[in-house]
Amino acid sequence: MTGYAPPIRRLIRELNRFPGIGEKTATRLAQFILKSPEENAKRLAESIIEVKKKIRFCSTCFNLTEDALCEICSDPARENGIICVVENPDSLIAIEESGSYSGTYHVLHGVLSPADGIGPGSLRLTELMERISENTVKEVFLATNPSVQGESTALLIMKLLRDKDIRVTRIGLGIPVGGDLKYVDKMTMAKAIEFRRGI
Amino acid sequence: MIKRPIYEASAFVLSFLDYGESDRIVTFFTDKYGKIKGIAKGARRSKKRFANAIELFSHSRILFSRNRKDSLFLIENSDVIDHYPKIREDLEKTMAASYIIELAAHFTAEGKKSKKTFSLLKDFFEFLDRKKFTEESLRFFELRLIKLSGYEPVLEVCVACNTPLDEIKAPRFSATDGGIVCVECSRQRPGSLPVSVGTLKMLLMGKEMEMEKIHRLNLSKQSSRESKAILESFIPFILGKELKSVRVLKEIKRLMV
Repeated sequence: MTGYAPPIRRLIRELNRFPGIGEKTATRLAQFILKSPEENAKRLAESIIEVKKKIRFCSTCFNLTEDALCEICSDPARENGIICVVENPDSLIAIEESGSYSGTYHVLHGVLSPADGIGPGSLRLTELMERISENTVKEVFLATNPSVQGESTALLIMKLLRDKDIRVTRIGLGIPVGGDLKYVDKMTMAKAIEFRRGI
Repeated sequence: MIKRPIYEASAFVLSFLDYGESDRIVTFFTDKYGKIKGIAKGARRSKKRFANAIELFSHSRILFSRNRKDSLFLIENSDVIDHYPKIREDLEKTMAASYIIELAAHFTAEGKKSKKTFSLLKDFFEFLDRKKFTEESLRFFELRLIKLSGYEPVLEVCVACNTPLDEIKAPRFSATDGGIVCVECSRQRPGSLPVSVGTLKMLLMGKEMEMEKIHRLNLSKQSSRESKAILESFIPFILGKELKSVRVLKEIKRLMV
């Protein structure tokens, strides 16, 4: 990298900070930026700054948003009585893309992970409980990942809601659509059998 | 092309760290090679090679290799033997298992094999999966693990003057000395904790007992409190820090009250 002019070196160093970007890839990206028209580079720089300046957490569900309330929370067509609890905004997007859910969300921004020191206090749990106590919530739909951490987070929320008159549901687990039973692992198969339903 | 030798082992996942786009750096405790650290390429994507086997405290059969002696192991394949569904369905059990693996990760050294530690982990997870969880069972696990890593506390005699337990009237436990002390010797040890003879005898008995029978030991409230206090002072003293999961466990308990 020593042969490059200092501004290029600086750009490579900055790009190198991105997850999954090594020095070689960073150099390639820097070359690409260097060769692109100035307005493209400007647009890239501006969109980075715009994201940093404008994006914040929705005051209700903690999804990422430009305004005080996110698009979902401010949509009158969404069912306010159902809250889907997810680990992070990526899970929210995945559920939204399915087009099958019309309730609201609550983003925890993490899951319980004792060995990493992540306990209930590091998650947006207090805010979830406040929302449940002040709103007319009928159902809490737990959609944390089916990993040890995701399951234990769901169990914790379930315990916290034990004495409340609220329906608590868990996202279904099972065979992927178009999948083949013979390639399904033991754990998923056991869950698919457990979650079987009448038709 | 040089062919790398492939190793096979039975292993527990102690911890993992997501790395890059879809890789995972995993720490296993294996039956044949002790604690090893390896990279599972594409673990978050490949359902075929790692089929949910890289989950905390799951017991799997792993295949791995290594390019150079100083590099990370390459985890080639991993198959679940047991994922302990009853532990995963229960918050208390999951938290206990999380504590156990953090403890095991701290009390074991990379590459130092110990079949006994592996069996202890296996027995404890099976016990946790099948039996009702009791806080006391953790004490017996802790004691055994500490013993296997060479830090066994002296509970039979005063560590300072060798007076046998039966002759000590009001024994105290001194974490800095690694064992119990008699009344006289405890005077120079202000940080020592009171512990009854009954508690000490129970711990000595439980230390050797088969894991299967542990639930039969019925610790009184006093013994339970005392054994927790002495191990809670001894473990951070050996490790030089408090475990993160202990802090989280306390936080969850407070929330549940």
